[in-house]
Amino acid sequence: MIENQSIYLALSVVLFIIGAAGAVCRRNAIVVFMCIEIMLGGVGIAFVTFSRANQSLDGIFMVLFIMAVAAAEAAVGLAIFVLMYRKHGTIDLDKFNLLKW
Amino acid sequence: MELVFLLICGGMAVISSLLVIFARSTLHSALWMVLSFFMVAIIYVLLHAEFLAMLQVIVYAGAIMMFVVYAIMMLNLRQERDAKVSVRVSKVVGVAALVVLFLELLLVGLGHSLTAMQGPITDSLVATHGRVAVISNFLFADYLLPFEVVSILLTAGVVGAVVLAKRVK
Repeated sequence: MIENQSIYLALSVVLFIIGAAGAVCRRNAIVVFMCIEIMLGGVGIAFVTFSRANQSLDGIFMVLFIMAVAAAEAAVGLAIFVLMYRKHGTIDLDKFNLLKW
Repeated sequence: MELVFLLICGGMAVISSLLVIFARSTLHSALWMVLSFFMVAIIYVLLHAEFLAMLQVIVYAGAIMMFVVYAIMMLNLRQERDAKVSVRVSKVVGVAALVVLFLELLLVGLGHSLTAMQGPITDSLVATHGRVAVISNFLFADYLLPFEVVSILLTAGVVGAVVLAKRVK
């Protein structure tokens, strides 16, 4: 246990839920993408808190790899948004139901 | 003192994250997002993860947000600004499920005292060797394989982005 551990964990839960709520409610694809980044930030705080509390570096490496995956995700995701916009003239997610059956 | 900083920065992180969702213009969302990333970086500093805080500022607030702002510039989203929020059954169900998840996470995370086996990285080890040296010793020994896999992933991501965004003739 470290000082204020419960505050750090509460902050991480709140950030995660804010990001998830935004990803559910917003329709603009770029805002949804940013909400997913908020969720990753909340997860990162939880990882680093436990890493600190247990005198270990594993949580820090997890966050390091999450950052790398997020960077790859940003590159591919934004390229997909540009492609969607070029094809349909909008990135409103309610107008895309290609995978719905 | 740490508590004061934590409360200020945590509060600002929550407020700026909320403003990301509620801002009407996509560009304003992106700018609030930068503030949110900076606040998370300060919280990493409070948790004695200075290296991660630096990476957070460089990778997230620098590189990824630059990507996003470029995308906003290229997409001309002015029409979307006045789009109304659509209320659908699926969204209501989704938000209800999130509230349940929120309560569950708070209950599990704060209701119990979570303990685990203590690792080898004590404060005295960090004080004698320096934090970045300790991190790099572990990164290039125990975590060498994941490190290489991530570098392949990043290469694949860049190639994929170029292939996707290329105009088809």
